[in-house]
Amino acid sequence: MGVTVLFTVFVGGLIIGLPVAITLGVSSLVYLLVAGIPVVVMPQKMYAGMDSFVLLSIPGFILAGKLMNQGGITHRIIRFASALVGWIRGGLGLTNIAASMLFGGITGTAVADAASIGGVMIPGMKKAGYPLDFSAAVTAASSTVGPIIPPSVPMIIVGALSGISVGQMFLAGAIPGILMGVAMMITAYIISVRRKFPREPWGGTSEVVRAFGGAFWALAMTFLIIYGLLSGLATPTETAVVASIYAFIVGAFVYRELPLRKLPAIIVESAVAAAGILALVGFANVFGWILVSERIPQAIAEGVLSLTQNKFLVILIINLVLLFVGMFMETIAALIILFVPLQQLAQAVGIDPVHFATFAVLNLMIGLTTPPVGVCLFVCSGIAREPLTRVIAAIFPFLVTNILVLLLVSYIPAISTWLPTVLMR
Amino acid sequence: MRFASGLIGLFTSLARFGTGLSFAVLIVSVLVQVTGRLIGDSPVWTEELSRFALLYLVAFGVGLSLRSGDLVNVDVISESLPGRVPWLLRLLSALITVGMALYVLPQAWRYTVIGGMQTSPALYVRMDLIHLTMFLLLLILALFGGLRVIGMLSGTVDGRPHRPEEE
Repeated sequence: MGVTVLFTVFVGGLIIGLPVAITLGVSSLVYLLVAGIPVVVMPQKMYAGMDSFVLLSIPGFILAGKLMNQGGITHRIIRFASALVGWIRGGLGLTNIAASMLFGGITGTAVADAASIGGVMIPGMKKAGYPLDFSAAVTAASSTVGPIIPPSVPMIIVGALSGISVGQMFLAGAIPGILMGVAMMITAYIISVRRKFPREPWGGTSEVVRAFGGAFWALAMTFLIIYGLLSGLATPTETAVVASIYAFIVGAFVYRELPLRKLPAIIVESAVAAAGILALVGFANVFGWILVSERIPQAIAEGVLSLTQNKFLVILIINLVLLFVGMFMETIAALIILFVPLQQLAQAVGIDPVHFATFAVLNLMIGLTTPPVGVCLFVCSGIAREPLTRVIAAIFPFLVTNILVLLLVSYIPAISTWLPTVLMR
Repeated sequence: MRFASGLIGLFTSLARFGTGLSFAVLIVSVLVQVTGRLIGDSPVWTEELSRFALLYLVAFGVGLSLRSGDLVNVDVISESLPGRVPWLLRLLSALITVGMALYVLPQAWRYTVIGGMQTSPALYVRMDLIHLTMFLLLLILALFGGLRVIGMLSGTVDGRPHRPEEE
């Protein structure tokens, strides 16, 4: 009875447009009242969910990304990406993807990537003769590599939920992120050859070196973060704050494009974005506690295992569930709700926790570009002023590519586990 | 109408100040920690202070994140409905938010009072001052939900997420 009420209120809340964090809170509250459990559990579990050492790094990483974003990295990264791959057929499409990979290593968020790179690349591609639907689709699809290539807020959340170190999770995402980017470039190239898209003139090695010099200080931040975490010199929170200071110095004094008068607003906006994520974590922790006390994770694991104990099929089932949920639900909310129940199932068939966490995040990232709820899809179709339906049709080849990469990462554990094993032994 | 927008502006400014201040405390605390590590004498209280600062950051920032849509709005279905239905659903959502927060508020106060019996291990702060963040969070959520209701009824806002860059 209680669980039925919990899920009915939850789904009802989403349908009427209640924010996900509030829906989680309201459904948990109604459950507590129906089950006769004291409501004081709610603030207690919210506190327990938010009072986490790992989550402390989230505002810092968001701030570092926003400072870099406002500090003039976008055009430097696009120039560097263009110098590298712009000369190939469909060069601007490839540049778009390469820029997303580099940008993702700095800001770590897909929506910021879609908005920043899309804002420059979509009009630029239109001017160069690329169709708008392709331009919007390639921007939206490639923006999803951002939260897979480190740093990554979803990977931090996974760290908090599973106890896996953030450094390990960041490293686990590196190869799958690069693989996804390269696979999308191949797809964009094939489409470009078939549709005879133009190429940019080759600027020579000197242009690559010059463009690299321009983007160097921004790109170095990714290495600073990875080094900070791997060397054991700093905790994730310390790394995030030091990265923010670094981003401030680069934006204000090296690139000189960060408007200092905007600094207070950037700090507050980063804090508000972090507050939203953490409040979501707090309410979801109450919801998650109810799921665990109702033995839902065990029930899911037992239900699936009664159908099959084949690891291959279990991975497929987990991916199908995540893909379906990701189509309708926001990534972080889906991650918080589903991670623990599905992790139990994954462990039951002997899937490595780091491997499971990586393909779960990758899977939910694909959801950012699938209808009906694909935030990056909305952002890019908005920038291109192109009907959503046309962008959805154009993104289809990239969706297929990303699902193929997801299957590779799901069935070849070494893609995600090799780097953390070698570097964090 | 002017009263409603003035009220929204006042509370938004106060919440922005509280959120920014909490974040500043977090950043300074972590920097003290890093500097201390470099000179070989890291104070023990910095980690605790940064965790507490984060809780205050969430408490002060939750209303602003409700306003900006950072609490994650999945409104594809509700916004695609005809006529005034989306507006009514936005109003209903705001009312539910206020109702939920106000209902839990006395229990959050109870939780705060329970904290009075404990002291934090490093800073020796009474934990009711930290548990208070849950009370504040719900209070501020109710306040911003209420401001949205007032704003919608007075015609000042339409209840959609409001991004600062749109200002």
